[in-house]
Amino acid sequence: MSSRSGPQSGQTALLFLPGDSLLHRANPLTSLIFMLWMISAAAVLPTIGTTILIVAGVALSFAMGVGPRVTKRLVITMLPLLVALLVVHGFLVSRPDFIPLVGPLTYSPTGLEYAAQVVTRIGAMLTASLIFVTTTHPGDILKSLDQRGVSPGVSYLIASPLLLIEPFSERAKAIRDAQRARGLDLTSTFKARFKALPALLIPLITLALSDLDHRASILNSRAFRAQKHRTVIDAPPDDRFQVWLRRVLIVLAIAQLGIPLLWR
Amino acid sequence: MLDVASVDFAYPGGNPVLSDIAFSVRRGEVLAIVGRNGAGKSTLLRLLNGLRQPASGTVTVDGLNTADTPVHVLAHHIGTVFQAPEQQIFNAKVHDEIAFGPRQQGLTGAALEARIAEVLGRIGLADAAQLHPLDLDAAARRLVALGSVLAMKPPVLLLDEPQRGLDANAMARLEAIVAEEAEAGTCVILVCHDMDFVARRASRVLALAQGRIAADLPTLDFFTSDELTRKAGVEVPDPVELARFLGLPPVLTPSALAAKWLADHRSA
Amino acid sequence: MALIKVEDLFFRYPQAKAPVLDGLSVAFEQGERVAILAPNAAGKTTLARWLAGLYPDGGLVAERGHVSMDGKPWPQWSAAERAAAVQFVGQVPSQQLTGCAFTVYEEIAFGPCNLALPEGEVRARVEQALAVCNLKHLAKRDPFTLSGGEQQRLSIAAALAMQPRVLILDEPTSNLDPESRDDFIAQLDALPAGLTVIVFEVALRPSLGLARRFMLLDEGRIVVDGTPETVLAHPRCIETLGMTAVARAAFEIREAGRWPEGLALPLTLAVAEQSFREAARA
Repeated sequence: MSSRSGPQSGQTALLFLPGDSLLHRANPLTSLIFMLWMISAAAVLPTIGTTILIVAGVALSFAMGVGPRVTKRLVITMLPLLVALLVVHGFLVSRPDFIPLVGPLTYSPTGLEYAAQVVTRIGAMLTASLIFVTTTHPGDILKSLDQRGVSPGVSYLIASPLLLIEPFSERAKAIRDAQRARGLDLTSTFKARFKALPALLIPLITLALSDLDHRASILNSRAFRAQKHRTVIDAPPDDRFQVWLRRVLIVLAIAQLGIPLLWR
Repeated sequence: MLDVASVDFAYPGGNPVLSDIAFSVRRGEVLAIVGRNGAGKSTLLRLLNGLRQPASGTVTVDGLNTADTPVHVLAHHIGTVFQAPEQQIFNAKVHDEIAFGPRQQGLTGAALEARIAEVLGRIGLADAAQLHPLDLDAAARRLVALGSVLAMKPPVLLLDEPQRGLDANAMARLEAIVAEEAEAGTCVILVCHDMDFVARRASRVLALAQGRIAADLPTLDFFTSDELTRKAGVEVPDPVELARFLGLPPVLTPSALAAKWLADHRSA
Repeated sequence: MALIKVEDLFFRYPQAKAPVLDGLSVAFEQGERVAILAPNAAGKTTLARWLAGLYPDGGLVAERGHVSMDGKPWPQWSAAERAAAVQFVGQVPSQQLTGCAFTVYEEIAFGPCNLALPEGEVRARVEQALAVCNLKHLAKRDPFTLSGGEQQRLSIAAALAMQPRVLILDEPTSNLDPESRDDFIAQLDALPAGLTVIVFEVALRPSLGLARRFMLLDEGRIVVDGTPETVLAHPRCIETLGMTAVARAAFEIREAGRWPEGLALPLTLAVAEQSFREAARA
């Protein structure tokens, strides 16, 4: 029996979509470094470059079978930002090149340009991150970190927030239900809701602290960090090609960031 | 007092959890809802106190349709003690925790203090009034949660596994409270795995199996039916079985068993 | 030599007036199945934590006495040694999960992996624990989405995968319905004979299937230690935990002067019919 993170464990895997694409099969570290390379490219490319990066990234996401999810998240996150930045930098922030538009409205081409640059840059970075998280199961990232000898403490810091979000929000819901069922008004005025806050937060915090206490002794009794290294089972496969690809991508990423700095 | 009319329920995108549920509970009745883990007991409880709404059918509590009544308003008509008292306790003193409900009902001053003192006496924690509820042991915390609901004097009491982890002393308190409430006309609903407790205190049993009502009978009739107890996956209390083995008339409790046995063997 | 030995343990929590454990002494042998009955606030969870070596911990130290395993007090054990020697499964199932595993399989493998065992050994232990605790069909599930009863089986499986010599369980049956409880008792019987199992319970009837040696913990001391019959008939046990239903019925008959002298009160249904028939003949 394999424990390789399957579709059934998707609940705590956040945005991960199970699949069998190239990126799904790649070692998580390769995907991670590919993402970092894309982010470093987004950091230095001009607007036209970051735009191409977004288009290429979205195309890649469709090729990897995660297109709809990546596109949806990208649009949901970027659209409000796009509107806000365009309005603020195009119309509100006073710039020397203000051109009258209609009535009292004026706009600034450099402002719009600046807004486009920021939005496409963030968009490209987000696309890179989304491709990574939709094709890589968090459990597999941890295993490859473990395999590289990264301290179990670090892996735990990465894993536990992902894993504990679900039970935490379940608990918050249960507390909310319990308090409403004893007469706490959470629907009417803002003031009433504000007054209700302690009744919701205190049990949540108390229980979280008690969980922390229990978890510490559970980890202790399961010999967590008792040895320097831990055994990794079902480590994601790796190969020489990927090792070299990662090295190339790291060099490229550093060069991309460094060269413009040196040239300017 | 409480009326459930042809209720169905399913979680979004899931299989039906409850189908075709209909029953009503009168004042002074103690109804035990029993069944296996996953039979739908917890969901039914949430339908009764308005935390969930039926997909079809209606739930009426104290004349109020749960679909039209906000949960926090309904709370004054149906008091719920949940399985995990830690999820509802938030005050730093037992006294204030008990005061929370009646304060919302507008009770103040001497009347409020009298209500609190009465409840603390009933749950046997008068000496613990100034302590932090979470410094108490698990059983006492369960009683604090019960007390905080009793203090609102709701006409319907909904108790989810109230007997869990209680020793003899705490259990005697709980049983006395259930009996007093029923006597005073409160309608008491227990969701419960402990069949000895059900046999001693419930007047009627509603058994759920796979989201449907498998039985709705007076407690004695339910436990003396092998077919129904098996279907509901519940244990038959030992006195019921023993009375049958010994050829005595059906009984529910140890005391009744002893009395029947003594009556049967008077001649000897 | 006793496997686990508690000697004159006197312990109170910081700032508390009264001690929780008041000069408690007790010993457990290898392979024993022991049920420790305890009324509320008797010091149950505290004693469990001492037996499991979770105390002493920081400021939580004994004012007197100590707990030792193999004659060696807990502070002399390394974390890895102790984890391989004793495992504790607490009361609330969701609080027994490590929060480090995405699947049931990984949750069970977590401990053995931390011990840096070879991969084959880890897998063998996980497979065995999955089988004993009837979790094979749930191996790929997210631990936090399991029901309370399933989580409890999982936390026991994860403890067993450490192959401890002592397993300590705090109210293991309280979250189970009767059918799951019967399964659980069968599961306990299937554990290796050399494993010492210590179970803490409040409810009398469910505990009867769990052990052959019983104790009553009351006000921080072991008041009585012996067969289930002696412990459940002890006046202090009756006062604090009551009686099983059949014992109660027999007791009331005795109060009415109709129970033969010298005939023990029956504890379980299995023996009750016989006793009641004997009482009827007398």
